Amino acid sequence: MQELIRHTKTINRLLARYGVKFGIYKNGEFNEQLFPFDPIPRIIENSEFQFLEKGLKQRVNALNCFLSDIYGEKRIVRDGVIPEEFIFSAKGFLPPCDGVVPPKGIFSHISGIDLVQSKDDNWYILEDNLRVPSGASYPMIARELQRRSAPDAFSSNSVIDNRNYAELLKEVMDYVNTGGINVILSPGRYNAAFFEHSYLAEKTGAVLTTGKEIVCENDRLYYIDYLGRKQRIGAVYRRISDEYLDPMTFYEESVIGIPHIFEAYKKGSVALLNAPGNGVADDKGIYYFVPKMIKYYLGEDAVLMNAPTYLPYYEDDMKYVLDNFDSLVIKDVAEAGGYGVVFGSSLTKEKKAEFIALLKSEPRRFIAQEVIDFYDLDILDPDGKQVPRKADLRAFVLAGGETKVWPSGLTRFSRNPDSFIVNSSQGGGFKDTWVLSR
Amino acid sequence: MGIITVDKSDHLLWLGRYTERVYTTLNLYFQSADRMIDTTPDYYGEFCRKIGIENVYGSRKNFLRTYPFDENDPNSIISNLNRAYDNAIVMRDYIGTETMAYIQLAIDDIHSAGRSAAPIADLMLVIDHILAFWGCVNDMIDNEQIRNIIKLGKGIERLDLYLSLGLPDSNIIREYRRMKQFLAKSKLRYDDSVINTVDSMISESELNHPNVKNLLRNLIVE
Repeated sequence: MQELIRHTKTINRLLARYGVKFGIYKNGEFNEQLFPFDPIPRIIENSEFQFLEKGLKQRVNALNCFLSDIYGEKRIVRDGVIPEEFIFSAKGFLPPCDGVVPPKGIFSHISGIDLVQSKDDNWYILEDNLRVPSGASYPMIARELQRRSAPDAFSSNSVIDNRNYAELLKEVMDYVNTGGINVILSPGRYNAAFFEHSYLAEKTGAVLTTGKEIVCENDRLYYIDYLGRKQRIGAVYRRISDEYLDPMTFYEESVIGIPHIFEAYKKGSVALLNAPGNGVADDKGIYYFVPKMIKYYLGEDAVLMNAPTYLPYYEDDMKYVLDNFDSLVIKDVAEAGGYGVVFGSSLTKEKKAEFIALLKSEPRRFIAQEVIDFYDLDILDPDGKQVPRKADLRAFVLAGGETKVWPSGLTRFSRNPDSFIVNSSQGGGFKDTWVLSR
Repeated sequence: MGIITVDKSDHLLWLGRYTERVYTTLNLYFQSADRMIDTTPDYYGEFCRKIGIENVYGSRKNFLRTYPFDENDPNSIISNLNRAYDNAIVMRDYIGTETMAYIQLAIDDIHSAGRSAAPIADLMLVIDHILAFWGCVNDMIDNEQIRNIIKLGKGIERLDLYLSLGLPDSNIIREYRRMKQFLAKSKLRYDDSVINTVDSMISESELNHPNVKNLLRNLIVE
């Protein structure tokens, strides 16, 4: 470990050399920033990883069953496990997807599951990201550069090599590919995660595109070269959100989508990773029901726990939330990226009254959770001193022929000692995640 | 991989052009800076005229400071380097992270040279990294067409600058012949008549530089 700490500057210099950046808009201006990297890794013992792996596979399998059911028979609603209001009023439920079966029946191919470990050693799921979860490329390239900077740190520890993420991703793309090339569809250079899009394209051998070179003809998708020759596309790992994907089906003013791509997908002639409509399953309101889904679809108890969550939609839960407001964190189900998160204790009397009025008028819009006292991880502060900071873990679960958990993940930390918010868009940094092989 | 679209060929071509523009104008800047030390202090006016940019600098001191480092000056070296970066960053999957890194390093160099006590000396690192970038293009990009489009861009830009600078015909002809080799290998669509006309002009005793320059502007068919 000391070797990694000693080589912090070298590692950061290499990360800068390879342009490991993320984009951020501030006051309407786009800026690229280096993603702050901390050299002290999160270490996960092998037995612990096996436990996480079991729970994560179970969760993603159940979520895939849920998506298949919701856009199919809707048994889970009919059987009263989830109230229909939570499904059909969810922003992520897309009526055009109703009845559509994606290639090989997989909806969430790449899932980013956010977890934290509490001080009582339990892991809790904070949220599921089943639309376009990002972040795998950062630990992937950081590992490569750390191995060059501090090789002894790896030869003296049994760390599972995490540089196979691109292979796992390619395996999934190939598995669902309907015949043709794989492409990564990016909104373009000024997207926050453009580094990741281009890096994953390079490493998987997929073609990076902004969609301008793609046409849909007779329900098939083609990539057009400079001589006008067409190559069929079999799988699109799209990194643009559902609403912008196809102006003919979704947001009609989208200029970054591909007209008629949804029709091609609907007819089964192209795979979209992840499937459109997945937002219904990673809605913060639906999160509450995931353990019930696991029981319902798989007949198993959830291996990994949710953070204790309350739905103000239910009368009893609303009462609990109002009685314990100061000790809870309230989340707006429509927000993401660390936005729309309110800690009850942080509000002034007036703001609290205002917020409670909003909560009462729109109970479906919020969930409330106990604040988990999660482990702090040490980071190096700018003076080189080790200081504790809040950190979470985004685990990546890839579902193709089988469901696999990448033996690593993105550990994000808050640089602010008083903050629980770890998102890069809000100043957070990242560290490597070591899974030990024994 | 390796399917080249109109947009991608355009980015590759301009990546070659902007890296060459940075390289040649920076070398010229070094020579001019040296000249301005004692013999011709206001030589920067001639420099601007030669490379066809507006002389907005007003003084030797301002030119030496602004021309390499001012991001608000569209003709500055840093602006051209930023444009090379803009074209490179969207082609990472084609040129590779290793190759891309040399453009990033050149950007870092120019920023640190701008903060340095010896900016002109430190700008030499930009040259080093542009040369390393071209080395990497040769060595690490497997796809021949991708390599040749970048080199074609480099060749077109070099010719354009050499023609503007009024370099001897022998230099122009050598660069023209090199550029033609890349043109054929790039498989891009081009206007045959431009090549035929320039070929016949070359056989004449003296080259008309402005005419050749204008003709070459329409070489690549969009």
